[in-house]
Amino acid sequence: MITVRARFSKTGEASYISLLDLQRVFQRALKRSGIPVWYTQGFNPHIYMTFSAPLPLGQESVAECVDFKTEDENYDWTAAAQQLSECLPKGIDVLRIEPVRTDSSAIALARYEITYEPDWAQRAARAYSTFAAASSASVEKKGKRTVKTIDLKQYTDVESARETADGFILSVFLPAGGELTINPALLTDYLKGLADLEGAVPRILRTALYTKNKEVFV
Amino acid sequence: MTQELRAALAAVQKPGRYTGGEPGCVYKDKDKVDLRFAFCFPDTYEVGMSFLGMKILYEILNAREDIWCERAFMPWVDMKEEMEKRGIPLYALESKDELRAFDMVGFTLQYELSYTNILAMLDLAHIPFYAAERGEDMPIIVAGGPCVCNGEPLADFFDLMMLGEGEVQLPAVCDTVIQGRKEGLSKQEILRRCAQIEGVYIPSLYDVSYLPDGRIQSVQSRDGAPAVVTKAIIRDMNTQPLPTHFVVPMIGAVHDRAQIEVLRGCVRGCRFCQAGFLYRPMRERNADMLSEAGRQLCENTGYDEISLTSLSTSDHSQLETLLDDMLTWTPEEHVSMSLPSLRIDNFSQSLVEKTTRVRKSGLTFAPEAGTQRLRDVINKNVTWDEIERTCTLAFNAGYTSVKLYFMMGLPTETMEDIEGIAETAQRVVDLYYKNPNKPKGKGVSVSISVACFVPKPHTPFQFVPQDTMESLHEKQQHLLRSVKSRKISVSYHDKRISFLEAVFAKGDRRLAPALCEAYRRGCFFDGWDEHFHFDTWMEVFRDLGIDPAFYANRTIGEDEITPWEHLDYGVTKDYLIREYHKAQQAKTTQPCNRACAGCGANHLLGGPCFDYR
Repeated sequence: MITVRARFSKTGEASYISLLDLQRVFQRALKRSGIPVWYTQGFNPHIYMTFSAPLPLGQESVAECVDFKTEDENYDWTAAAQQLSECLPKGIDVLRIEPVRTDSSAIALARYEITYEPDWAQRAARAYSTFAAASSASVEKKGKRTVKTIDLKQYTDVESARETADGFILSVFLPAGGELTINPALLTDYLKGLADLEGAVPRILRTALYTKNKEVFV
Repeated sequence: MTQELRAALAAVQKPGRYTGGEPGCVYKDKDKVDLRFAFCFPDTYEVGMSFLGMKILYEILNAREDIWCERAFMPWVDMKEEMEKRGIPLYALESKDELRAFDMVGFTLQYELSYTNILAMLDLAHIPFYAAERGEDMPIIVAGGPCVCNGEPLADFFDLMMLGEGEVQLPAVCDTVIQGRKEGLSKQEILRRCAQIEGVYIPSLYDVSYLPDGRIQSVQSRDGAPAVVTKAIIRDMNTQPLPTHFVVPMIGAVHDRAQIEVLRGCVRGCRFCQAGFLYRPMRERNADMLSEAGRQLCENTGYDEISLTSLSTSDHSQLETLLDDMLTWTPEEHVSMSLPSLRIDNFSQSLVEKTTRVRKSGLTFAPEAGTQRLRDVINKNVTWDEIERTCTLAFNAGYTSVKLYFMMGLPTETMEDIEGIAETAQRVVDLYYKNPNKPKGKGVSVSISVACFVPKPHTPFQFVPQDTMESLHEKQQHLLRSVKSRKISVSYHDKRISFLEAVFAKGDRRLAPALCEAYRRGCFFDGWDEHFHFDTWMEVFRDLGIDPAFYANRTIGEDEITPWEHLDYGVTKDYLIREYHKAQQAKTTQPCNRACAGCGANHLLGGPCFDYR
């Protein structure tokens, strides 16, 4: 038995599928696809799956992954990716499936592209420059039971901030994974207050996951 | 998706209700189809996505290259507000195009208290309510479903209504619209043509006049429309394939499983049951066809649960064969079976075993009335001995919870019958504790759920007045006092909701303004307790000079012209009257697969419904 990892995108309509629903969606899709997946052997057999660093509702990604087990070690995984894609909803595409090499606990960082549409771009740029110039940016991070105050500046690693024809695009690295996850919505919520961005709905797209040393997680 | 829509979705609960894109949903190029149909369900996504009728028609229409059928549901309160605030018109989930862009917009009428939701959806879509106010640029607004059997309160809103079964009829209507458009006909001309299709009712082609006392004087058809519209029917269910490609919802629907419709109609003839009369005669599908369709459906959807649906699944003559057929593939495919609507009187040991092989859940039965006399009145041919036998079987098999459904406010009911409800539940509790094979160390729980009886059109009880709210209140209190055991829990329906249901079930065209006004004053989602504003409704009736009791609490004369007199579901009025008289004498009628009682519905098939030998 081996564990394989399916890398997939979750965009558009599919960004509104919650983790709980996503599990059911994959359960059914894997069943339909005919891929030889391993079922738990209990009274109520089901496919054993693990999603790494799941996304908040409404955010998009081209770098999601789910692990599941199989007894067929020599299956044609290139074909499997296509088979599985066909059984998934609009907005979810399986990019590739391959045996797991790195444990998902190695995930430490995620890269996001935050896009403000052109009519909000100027204000977004202004908000960002205020943020960039500030020495600290404290926000409240809500956990399951606790509310912690953290300094966003300390965790936000900005790759680029640019105005384009598509609007204002901010590319950032934020902690993600078991140890600490910073939801990019904390950043956009913070920016909201800086330049009257109340009505803006920036698109948040996760483009990649990384390990501690900024190596791409595969 | 537009920025506005994304902003709305970010602000509401369960945005997955409003996005579409589920596995199995159909996308087409809108420029390559001749007709776009928006199938609208006037309740939430979760309720609508459980509805088999939509799945059937979605598949049939989308199988055609020239038609694209999409879906729309009533947005929940938070989304409605967001859409209004942001000026997002109601759209179909697949294309996200607004409903006004469609050729036809079809609503399914499942429940009287969803009528205001229809208005809410039209309003959100910027479509005028009244058919007479809609020009050539507006879609043709149509309706189907059981409440069309007396859709008169909505008659002024709809261009066209479809009585009976839509599998053949709806495509025929679409064809007529496509053809009419090609010929450049006006909407009125197209509708006049549609009036010739089996089961099609064009409300604007019927004039209703009233007597001074408020009753109907006459209903006259015009322009070649039939005087009486007879419902459409699939004569042989084996000629009609089952849907094998459901749209699979991603957020949990109420019934989120594969469904195969094993039979249509019901042989029982329970006198209160509208469905039992509307879908006559009972027609079965063959076991092998059902099993194969079920297997394909599970394969295509990935569902791991399949339900054998119908009004009375255990009346299928090949049920054991069907279960055996299905058991040849369900275990290896990790699929479990469930059988809703079982009858107490033919619930067998092997049936219990076959369906509980995978999982044990609670058991639900509907004796409907607490005493034998009253069960005979309503022709629910169930005896205490049968209840006892079934519960013993179930307790032996390890069941520990039983749910019993009853009604109150039934014709001829007395307080003795109400006490009978509590007694029946108590005897079930006693049965459990007397059973030596009961599960060790576990108690029993019996819950009784009591609905308020609503007299419905096309049933023998259509003539009966609904019990008043005061009387229903007294009966509910009496029931609570009569229950002595803690093992028994009681729940009952809001009598005010049932009252309004009766008003619209038996209503006529003069109620249309009340619907508009109630909606204007904030009534929608009336079927949801937390959004039901009874006082507003009563104020609307008062302000418009409408007496709701005229519709709900008045005896209808046997010779009176009902609002639904011109709508024919195959069962003759003579038969309804005969059954009404038998009810008053507490005389039962046999199920129609045992002996034909002569209801008249066999004319729809052109011969006897069963092979009586």
